[in-house]
Parts: sequence; C-alpha cells; structure tokens
Amino acid sequence: MYQLLLTTKYLTSRVIPLIAVAAVGLCVALVIVVVSVMSGFLNMVQSSGRTLMGDVVITYGISGLPHYGGLITHLEDNENIFAATPIVDGWGLLRMPYPDSKAKQSETVQVWGIEPISFAKVTSFDKSLQWKTPTENQMEWLLFDAITENQDTLRRAMGDDEWEELVVIVNDASGALNYESVMLWERVQKILDDEQWSLVLSFDERLSNPDAIFQQGLSLSQNGSEGIVSGLHVSEGNERQKDGSYRVVRNDYWWLPRYDATLTMLPVDAGGGVIEPESIIMPFVNEFQSGVFMIDESRVFVPINIAQQLLHLDQAEIVDENDPTEILGIDPAKATSILVRGIPGTSADDLQIIVEQLYDEFVSSLPLHTLVLPPSRSNPGLTIHTWEEQQRSFTGPVEKERELMRTLFSIVYLVVAALILSIFWSIVFEKTRDIGILRSMGASRGSIVWIFLQYSLVIGIIGSSLGLLVGWLITKNINSIHDAMGNPPLGIAVGSFALAFVVAVYTVSKAKSGQMLPIVLGGLGLVVFCGIGALVLFIKSVGGLIIWDASVYYFSIIPNEVDWPSSLVTVCGAILFCLIGAVIPAAKAADTDPVKALRHE
Amino acid sequence: MSNVILEGKNLKKTYRLGRASVCVLTDASLQVEEGQWVTILGSSGSGKSTALHLLGGLDRPDKENGGIVHFRGESIWHQSNRRINKYRNKDIGFVFQFYHLLPELSVLENIVLPAMVGGLGFARASAKSRAISLLEKFGLGHRISHRPRELSGGERQRVAIARALINEPSILLADEPTGNLDEKTGGEILDVLSTLHKEGLTIVLVTHNIEIAQRGDVVVRLRHGQIDRPATLAH
Ligand SMILES: Nc1ncnc2c1ncn2[C@@H]1O[C@H](COP(=O)(O)OP(=O)(O)OP(=O)(O)O)[C@@H](O)[C@H]1O
Ligand SMILES: [Mg+2]
Repeated sequence: MYQLLLTTKYLTSRVIPLIAVAAVGLCVALVIVVVSVMSGFLNMVQSSGRTLMGDVVITYGISGLPHYGGLITHLEDNENIFAATPIVDGWGLLRMPYPDSKAKQSETVQVWGIEPISFAKVTSFDKSLQWKTPTENQMEWLLFDAITENQDTLRRAMGDDEWEELVVIVNDASGALNYESVMLWERVQKILDDEQWSLVLSFDERLSNPDAIFQQGLSLSQNGSEGIVSGLHVSEGNERQKDGSYRVVRNDYWWLPRYDATLTMLPVDAGGGVIEPESIIMPFVNEFQSGVFMIDESRVFVPINIAQQLLHLDQAEIVDENDPTEILGIDPAKATSILVRGIPGTSADDLQIIVEQLYDEFVSSLPLHTLVLPPSRSNPGLTIHTWEEQQRSFTGPVEKERELMRTLFSIVYLVVAALILSIFWSIVFEKTRDIGILRSMGASRGSIVWIFLQYSLVIGIIGSSLGLLVGWLITKNINSIHDAMGNPPLGIAVGSFALAFVVAVYTVSKAKSGQMLPIVLGGLGLVVFCGIGALVLFIKSVGGLIIWDASVYYFSIIPNEVDWPSSLVTVCGAILFCLIGAVIPAAKAADTDPVKALRHE
Repeated sequence: MSNVILEGKNLKKTYRLGRASVCVLTDASLQVEEGQWVTILGSSGSGKSTALHLLGGLDRPDKENGGIVHFRGESIWHQSNRRINKYRNKDIGFVFQFYHLLPELSVLENIVLPAMVGGLGFARASAKSRAISLLEKFGLGHRISHRPRELSGGERQRVAIARALINEPSILLADEPTGNLDEKTGGEILDVLSTLHKEGLTIVLVTHNIEIAQRGDVVVRLRHGQIDRPATLAH
C-alpha cells in the first residue's frame, strides 16, 4: 500500500524512470515492427501461393499433358475437389505500346494461357483484376480513342460545320488531355445529335457500359475476340501512390487498356529445337495485381487456345513421315500444368494424395489404342505438388530467417533487463537513506523488495504498452513511412535547420554563463538537428532511400498487419525481464542496514 | 519496578574495522519506567546513538554476551523478524538529529507513512485525521502539502516528531533532536516534547548538552561504554 505511494512519487519526481520507460517502449516497438513485418511477409508469401495456384499443381512442362480435359472432368467428379483448371505456360516477348517512350519497347513475359472461367474458380483471378471500372479520366481517353480511331465513319455521319467543331475539340484534347481534364465528354456531347452520339458510343462497349472493362478482363476478350491481361508492373505507366492505390502516369495517357499488344512466343518441337517464332496482336483488356511483385512484373494472361497456338500445343494431325498426306491420327491439345483447388476444409496434403490417385485412375482408364498417352507417374518430368512444395524454394528461407530474427531479437529482453538493473542499482544507491528510514519504521524486507518490483512492473507495463502503441502505429503506417523515406519532404530539412539555428542561438546565449550542461546539450542538439537536415538533403540528392525493394522482396507493399500473438509475447516478455532486472537491486535494497543507512549524511 | 517498560541489560556492542575492533558499549544497562523521561548524556563519540539504536531495535547487540533488550518483559531479539518490524513500527517512535524525512513525499504523506507501513491495522482515513491533528497541535496545520525541503529545520523536526507519534507508540526515542537547530528553535522542540511527556508519553532522549539534559526526569551518563547509575535530578 505504501509502496504504491512511493512508486508513483519516484516515477513522477525524476527523469531516469521516464528514460527507462522510453527505452523499454522503443525495444518493444522495435521487436513488434520487425516481427510483424516478417510474419506478414511470410503470410503474404504463403497466401499468395495459394490464391495464385490453388492447392495442388500437376505439371508436365516438357511437352504438355494431353487429354487434360478428360483429366479435369475426372478430377472435378471427386467430392473433395472444388475445381481444376488447365494452364499453358511459356516465355514470350511483349511489345509494349508506350506511345512516346524509347525505353522498354519489349518486355520478356511469362505467358499463362488460361481458361478464364475455371481459372477464376481455382484462383482469385477475378479479385486480382485492377480495373473494375475506368476512372473519369480514363473514360475521356476512351472517348478520345473512339473518335480518332473511327474518324472516317464519324465524318460520314456529320455535317461539315459540326465536323470542323469536333476536330477543334479533339485536337485541343490531344494536346491537353495528358496533363489536365478537358471535359471532352461534355463538349463532344454538346455538338453531336443523339444519333451521332450513339454511333460514337457504339465504337467501344466500355463507353456505354463502364463495367465492361471488368467483364472483358474476366473473359479475356473484347468484342468477341481474344484479349490479354497483364500484370500491373509489366507496364511502366503504373505508379504506386502513398495510399497504396495506383495511378497511371501522364493523366492516364499510358493506360494499357487503350492499346494493343504484340505477343511473340517461341514454340519448341518435340526434340527441344526452336521453331519459327509466332506472333499475335491482341488488345490489352485489363491488368491484374496479385501483390507478388515477381508475378505482377512479368506475367500476362491470354486465353489458353492462343497460348497453345503460339507454342504449338494445340490439336494437330499426326502424319506419316514418309507420306505427309497419310493421316495417322490426332495429337490432342495439351496443357503444361493443371491447378487443382480442394473444397474448403481439405488440406493441401490430403488433396495431393487424392489427386495422385485420381491421376493414376485416369491414365489407366484411357483406351489402350490411344495414340498420345499422358505420362505415367513414374515419369520424372511429371510432378504433383502442393502449393507449399511449389513455393518451398522461397518460403523455406523466409521461415528460417524469421526464426533467426526472433532469436536475435530475444537479446532485446537482455537489454531491457540490463537497463532496468543499472537504473535500479543507481536508484537504490541514491535512495539508501530513504530505505533505511523505511526499515527503521518497521518496513519488512519483503515489502522493500516489493517497492522496487512494483516500480519495475509499472515501468515495464507503461513502457511496453507505449511500445505496443508505437509499434502498432509504425506497422500500420509502415508503407507511408517508407514512402516518406524514399522521398523525404524538404520541410523536414528546412525545419531541422531552423531548429538547429534556434538551438545554436540558445547555446551561445547560455555559453556566456560558463555552465557546462547547457553547452553540451546545445552542442548535441545542434549536431542532431543539422544531422537530420543533412541526411534528408542527402537522401533527396541520391533520389530517395528505398529499403523495401519490391523486386527483392517479391511484394510491392510492406506487410502492415501487426502480428498480435508475437506482440503480446513481446510485451509480456519485456515486463517479465523488467522484473528480472529489478530483482537484484531490490534484494540489495531489502538488505540495507538501517543504522548504516541513517549514518549516511 | 513493576512498571519498567524498556530495559537494556549489559549491552555490549563492538564495531569491526578490518582487523581492529572498537568496543563502543562494554556493559551498558538502563531501565525506563512507563511515563518517564530518561535523558542519556554523553560526549560525542561515546556511543549514545549506538545505545539508542539498540534500544529501538534498529541494531543488534553483539552476538556473544551482548546483553538483552526487554520491552514489556519480552526480549525483542529473541523473536521473529516480524516482531522486530512490529516493534519498530508500533511500539517505539524514533526521532533523529537530521530529521530523515522522505524528500519526495509531502509533509502529510511523511507523517502517515509509518501507519501505511504498519499495514491494514490502521485505517488510512483515521491515520490521516490523526496526522492533521498532530500537525495542528505542533502549529504546522498550514504546511500539510508542503515538501520537507520547503520547511525550516525546526518545522522539519516537528514533522519528524509527528511521524514518530502517528502509530501511538509507547516510547519516543530521540537522538539529539535539537542537535541541528539553534538554541531558540531547539527550545521550542523541547517544549513540544515536554508537552507530550506531560500527556503521559515515555521519552528516551540522547544529548551531549547538559542544559538540555535538565529537561528529563532521570539523567544517566554514558561513559567508557557504560551507563552510570540513574540519578534523579533535583529541581
Ligand atoms: N558502523 C561503524 N563502524 C565502526 N565504528 C563505528 C560505527 N558506527 C559508530 N562507530 C563508532 O562508534 C563510536 C560511537 O558512535 P555513536 O554514533 O554511537 O556516538 P555518539 O555518542 O552518538 O556521537 P555523536 O554525539 O557524535 O552523535 C564512534 O567512535 C564511532 O566512530
Ligand atoms: Mg549520535
């Protein structure tokens, strides 16, 4: 009871415990941020694996799996399997349509030929589509494109004067639209009659139905012909904003769904030799963002039949080598892998066993005279993996790294304990007389110990709660903090130089009195503020500091979810180690001899 | 002899300084009767504080043939630690030359502290009202929430006396309570003690000042580690 009184008095009447609180808080915040980011990173890697490739993957990359349609039907008949979808993947060159950039004319891309409907069932393809509807500005561009691309048709439907007017408006827009809003819709609508306007709208479905862009992305088609959906970082034009959303540079001038892509792939023949490259021109119908940078940077989706054509994995006739007119049979279309998703609640490992069984069943069920048989499971080219195994190459190291981090950061506890120990040692030394007084008025040893334990408990609880708060705030805002470090506001530099100036003036004015402490503090303040200012300027001069490089860490955003279980363990650990640090000084205090302490004058 | 409340018998205390040892008390005996004011007179370094610490249970006599301290007929050192703590807390009140108030606590908190240390036996509110009435009695009613450093020496010593009395001890032990004060202020402190004595408080006071020693009922001399036979002062 009296301990509480003393604890509050000691806590509020001196600076050292506040420093201890701050130090404990910083330690806790540090651990929480690091562990949260690491765990979030691991979670992202794992969950992205699952949403990007389902639970189990059957791969036969060399020449592809024939009869995959039958295999999928057989798989989907099983009650544990929710859906399965075929993939044809290969590398290709994508000619980028940037209107005015010499850079990055062609990109090497990983092409995934997919069946959009079943693919969306197995993965979360629909959720990853970036453009649900075009923005207002993008609508302006679509209108602009519709008019300029169909000017001949439009010209025929319009009178001379109206046409002249339209040309002026559109020419204006072509110069200005890439940096400001020009109200193209309103202005065009004003000079066109209803019939002409509906003609304009008919040039592009997206004009009259903004949702069409999502549907086109989902079906990989536009106006009945095939389209391409590319990863968000394939295009140079998409820039991440501070809030995590994306903006297209130059006022959407570089917005990919305005353009066509030329995709070139290199088919390989049965012997592994390269055949003539094949090319196709398709419109970009949408873009997707999986969140995994490596994928968003290099993957494009096309309809599976396009990929099969380009890679020569489509259905073909088998002819006699000596007599090419003699047709021996049909070589069926092939898929390089099949993604399988289980019903909710099935583990990937269980599903793997089921899929293996079903695969064997399927292969043995094919008629004996089948010309092209799928490989048997003993074929080393065929793999049936869970998503975890497929991802193992990079989740494994991350998991190890997290454990290493946790271990290394346990040292923080020792720091906390040592800190409390040294602070309390000095407090006990300083308070020897007071302890003697308490002992002389009958305070027991145990109750003296309890003063200091309680004291450290309060420091631990306040410190680690503060740390939790700070850690939570930092983790939640880690992306904006990171962005700010990448592009530090000049105001910080100006502000810190201004503060440095104020401190300098103060120090000089104090220096006259000859007192050392103000001079030392002022000098330190000067160094710190000038340092911050100079650092900001330096970061600015090197073009920003990027610690979380998306191309290294796979993800374009830093995980910002607090790992609560680990955080609570950290908080409790810090409190515990505060207690441990306080035990020794507390015991020393309890053993204070009242008579000796009171002679201390 | 039936009303002897505190008794030191053949007390012996030796301090060890490395190899050398100093025998401060060799064979000191003292009896204090209930309601008495006993003054121990001795020159500086004669062992007065040491004797008082032994009587107050702050220090132990020597292990071998160190003598005993009896409080109400019980040896205080032959009982549990708990009993010693209770003895220090409830049965005696200590007043020191250098006041020894806790600087972080207010006057009132300093006074109530022993009641709080003593635990739940004392309701906090009643301890508080007792502290306030003691302060008023000592003319410090307006200083309740001041810090010790804001008080004069005499005021601090009165606060220290109030603290010693908060648990209504049977005996007040005062170790040169005026040693650090000028004559006038010291006189005021002694007046306070006289008043308390008249109200029935048993007091053991230690001093090297013969004038101050006039105040007590009984004056004993501490010399060569021994306490002379008590001599009742003739008024
Ligand atoms: N812890 C100790 N170790 C060694 N010697 C000590 C110790 N405490 C006291 N002494 C010695 O014991 C002797 C008596 O000390 P004590 O404080 O009891 O004297 P005192 O009569 O109260 O003196 P004063 O009037 O100066 O307060 C002194 O000579 C002192 O130096
Ligand atoms: Mg003394």
